[in-house]
Amino acid sequence: MDMIEVKNVSFRYPQQEVLRDITFRIAPGRFLAIAGPNGAGKTTLLRLLNGMLKPTKGGITIDGEPMSRYNPRRLAHKIAVVRQDVLPSFAYSVYETIIMGRTCHFGPMGFESEADQQAVQAAMEATETTQFASRRLTQLSGGERQRVYIARALAQDTPILLLDEPTSFLDMRHQVAVFDLLKGLQKQRGITIIAITHNLNLAGQYCEEMLLLGPPGQYTIGPVRNILTAATMERFFHVKILQGHIGDVNFLLPVGRPNCDTGR
Amino acid sequence: MSVEKKGENRAVTTPLTPTKLILQVALGVVLLVGVMVLCCLVGTQEVSLRDVLKGPGTTEKPNLDYEIIVRIRLPRVLLASAIGLALAASGAVFQALLRNPLADPYILGVSSGAGLGAIIAVMSGIQWAVWWGSPVALFAFGGAMAAIWLVWMIGRAAGRGNMTSLLLAGVVVNAFLSAVIMFLISVAGSEHLQTTIFWLMGNLNAAALEDVRVIWLTLGLTMAGVFVLFLLGARLNIISFGDSDAHSVGVSVVIVQRIAFIVAGLITAVAVSFSGLIGFVGLIVPHAVRLLLGADHRRLIPLSAIFGGIFLMISDTFARIVVAPAELPVGVVTALVGGPFFLVLLVRYARRGHWGD
Repeated sequence: MDMIEVKNVSFRYPQQEVLRDITFRIAPGRFLAIAGPNGAGKTTLLRLLNGMLKPTKGGITIDGEPMSRYNPRRLAHKIAVVRQDVLPSFAYSVYETIIMGRTCHFGPMGFESEADQQAVQAAMEATETTQFASRRLTQLSGGERQRVYIARALAQDTPILLLDEPTSFLDMRHQVAVFDLLKGLQKQRGITIIAITHNLNLAGQYCEEMLLLGPPGQYTIGPVRNILTAATMERFFHVKILQGHIGDVNFLLPVGRPNCDTGR
Repeated sequence: MSVEKKGENRAVTTPLTPTKLILQVALGVVLLVGVMVLCCLVGTQEVSLRDVLKGPGTTEKPNLDYEIIVRIRLPRVLLASAIGLALAASGAVFQALLRNPLADPYILGVSSGAGLGAIIAVMSGIQWAVWWGSPVALFAFGGAMAAIWLVWMIGRAAGRGNMTSLLLAGVVVNAFLSAVIMFLISVAGSEHLQTTIFWLMGNLNAAALEDVRVIWLTLGLTMAGVFVLFLLGARLNIISFGDSDAHSVGVSVVIVQRIAFIVAGLITAVAVSFSGLIGFVGLIVPHAVRLLLGADHRRLIPLSAIFGGIFLMISDTFARIVVAPAELPVGVVTALVGGPFFLVLLVRYARRGHWGD
């Protein structure tokens, strides 16, 4: 059975069409990257996948069941979301933040059980955030906080993980670290991962599939090495791109025009 | 439990268990009762606890100390604790809902709504003998609820469930109703002026004190409200991050926001209907509790309630004695403490760029 099936999904805001007639499936345990130019609707698609938005047309099924049949609590047992880095309004500790991922498992009085605490411990170990446990979110760097948000989503203990640009604002070392972490989770726990990313070269190394979104009606999806080619990328991003490869992993280099006159 | 210390900052690392919370709440309640007893004993008239404990005395020779405590001071102290409880707990909740630690129950139009209701009652000179004697409280309650309803409807029309538009709606409704209040005060006859202004500044010397049952009812209602808000605590934690964060961990965001908003609004309305406008309690108390014990709303809401009660009892006792035999409106005392506190928060925010402690 397909874990996630997106069928003829269109979405428009009152003033603007964002997605038109998108269809794809993701099998359990796969790692899908979503890429595309700014404003192509990547985040909108992610919000459709986690039920925050409802498609204008078409439908999404999770485990064969239409999205509309899930209430938020049940959906939270299936899908966890890693948000972009944000500083909360209140100075929660790292522990307090990660345990929030267990909210859908709490009893009626809203207290964490033994199992919830164990899930938090495991998530902190997997993300190597145990050493921050006693710090507040405001005292962490952006990269450290990103790991805490990943830990929060892991603690939720779901078969599907959605990430919205998990490596933005991170330096190269931490970008690789995040992808390593995600790949490890995919292998060890068999989690299905869908991540929006602008880092095409890392996506090319770690993901199996890529969905490339363009203007409404234009998209392509397939094995990552078929998508990650100079020709396809030039069509979607409108810049000149050089392509190379190491083994069967493609690498792309956008070619600028540093010597050109500033358009005059 | 976390303690703020210079140079180091220990934050919460251990689970919040029901036992731990019950223990902390119980300690808070012991402190509350202790302060309550102290506040009853303090006043212009010296009272000895030993004499009070002798009981009411006889009809021919009543025990004066007992009468002062039981008939005059205790009801007032109880009312102060109920109102402080409501204001601080609803302050904590509004701050979570609006994701802004400077939000106060009044920002949502509750105060001016209650004020308008009270002024209409005073100026129309309505007198009837309902069981708490004064129509002012009833009108103020009606006004507060109407303002909350108005803010909610405007906020919803402007952007469904969008907390920023709710905040703006509150500011606008507040400004508009304040203008109406000022208009009414300008045209009011001088005989109503003092009552009105004294009410607007907040005081606990209300007609309600004549009937102790009203006070017990108020205390019961606000405590029930605080309990409902406490049950929403875990969900409010994640809602204070963002709507989509809350949605993705399985919270029915709009429903929780609605319940929290209505219940917090209700207990604020109950409180202001008796007390008039008492500012800053809903701002200072949750902030202090957050500094001492962390931001987890499961603990923040009940402990803010307890410390809100303590804070208002002390403020009111101060208001009673500081210019005796006259009395200050308690709203003046809380504003004198709260204003500078608010400024300190604002400067800290400007320096650090975040609200973190």
